[in-house]
Amino acid sequence: MAHPSQLGFQDAASPVMEELLHFHDHTLMIVFLISTLVLYIIVAMVSTKLTNKYVLDSQEIEIVWTVLPAVILILIALPSLRILYLMDEINDPHLTIKAMGHQWYWSYEYTDYEDLGFDSYMIPTQDLSPGQFRLLETDHRMVVPMESPIRVLVSAEDVLHSWAVPALGIKMDAVPGRLNQTAFITSRPGVYYGQCSEICGANHSFMPIVVEAVPLEHFENWSSLMLEES
Amino acid sequence: MSPFSALRVAGLLARRGVAVNISVRAAHGHEISKQEDMSLPMYWDRKDTPLPDIPFQKALTADQQSLKQKELGSWKNLSEEEKIALYRLAFNQTFAEMKKPTQEWKTVVGGVLIFIGLTGLVVWWQRVFVLPPQPHTLKEDWLAAQAKRMIDMRVNPVEGFSSSWDYEKNQWKK
Repeated sequence: MAHPSQLGFQDAASPVMEELLHFHDHTLMIVFLISTLVLYIIVAMVSTKLTNKYVLDSQEIEIVWTVLPAVILILIALPSLRILYLMDEINDPHLTIKAMGHQWYWSYEYTDYEDLGFDSYMIPTQDLSPGQFRLLETDHRMVVPMESPIRVLVSAEDVLHSWAVPALGIKMDAVPGRLNQTAFITSRPGVYYGQCSEICGANHSFMPIVVEAVPLEHFENWSSLMLEES
Repeated sequence: MSPFSALRVAGLLARRGVAVNISVRAAHGHEISKQEDMSLPMYWDRKDTPLPDIPFQKALTADQQSLKQKELGSWKNLSEEEKIALYRLAFNQTFAEMKKPTQEWKTVVGGVLIFIGLTGLVVWWQRVFVLPPQPHTLKEDWLAAQAKRMIDMRVNPVEGFSSSWDYEKNQWKK
C-alpha cells in the first residue's frame, strides 16, 4: 500500500510492474527535459530586451523541430511496445482464480482442484483493529502462492467494476457477461492492496482488493482451512 | 434601456477599444493614447514596433506648421529645442519613457495575496462549522500502530517505506 502523501509508485511486487516503473522513469525524464526547455524559452521570450521579434519563416529550424519530436516519440514508443508485448506473452499458470465483482464486494473462486469460493467484504472503519488500514482491509484475502504464475479471470455479476492491484501492475475491467484474463507472478511474499477502479454505485470506494502472497505450504494450509469453513 | 440602444453603446465601446487593464496601467503612470476609431490608421507607443502609421500630432498650429517647413531644409539649422519639438510632434513618448518601470506589480501581488487570505478565512470557517470530524484512524496512536504494522509486513521494502527501517537494530536507518 502507499504511505500517506506518497506521490510515486509503490515498490514493484511483480516483474511486469518493475518494467513499468523503469519505463515511467524513462518517459518522465523526457517530459521533464522538454518542459524545462519550453519554460526556458518562455522566460527568454518574455524578458528579452530585443525589439525585432517578428521573423516570419526559417526552413532549418522547422526541420529541426519536426524531426526531433519524431525521434523522441520513437524513443518512447519502442520501450512501450516492448512492455505491451511482454505482458501478452504465453504463460503457463500454476493456478487460475476467478475474481467476480459485485455491488459492493469481490468474490474469488478457486475451482482448479476443489470448489473453493468466498466473498471479500471491506472491513468497516468502526470494526478495524488498531493499526489496520482504513478503507483497504477485507475480511477474506485472495491468497496466492508466491513466485508462481497466477491467472486471474475477471468478470462482474451486475455492473462494471475493475480489479486493480497497483503493486502488481494490474488493472482489469470486470464486465458483466465477459471474461477478462490477466496474469501475474509475485517476486516476493507480502500483502498487496488495491481498490475497485470503475464507478459502480454508492459504495464504489468501499470494495477493496487484498492479495496475500505466501509460500506454497501456507497456501495449501489456507485453502484447506477455507474449504473446511465453507 | 432598450436592447437596441444597448447594442449601439456596445458597438461604440468596441470601436473605442476600452479595456480594464488600460485604466490600471494609467493609474500607475503609463499614458494611454486617445483613439477615436480603430478602423483608421492608428498612433501607438510600442517598443517592438517603433514607427507608428501616423504622427502623434496631426492638427498643427501656425507655429508648428512653420517649424515643419523649416524641417524640410538642412537639419544643421535646427536648434536643440526645435529638434525636440519636432520629435514631440511625431511621437508621444520617448523610448525611455515607454520603458520606465511602473509599480504595477505591487498592486497585482497585493491583490493576489488579499484574495488568498480571504480564501484562507473561508477554508478555516469551513473546518470549524461545516466539515465532519476526522476518522479515528488519523489519531496519533493509530498512526503509530499502523506504521509498526507496515514495517512488520514489509510494505514497499525495496525503495519505499520499509527500506528506511533497520531491521537488525530495530530503528529507523540513520
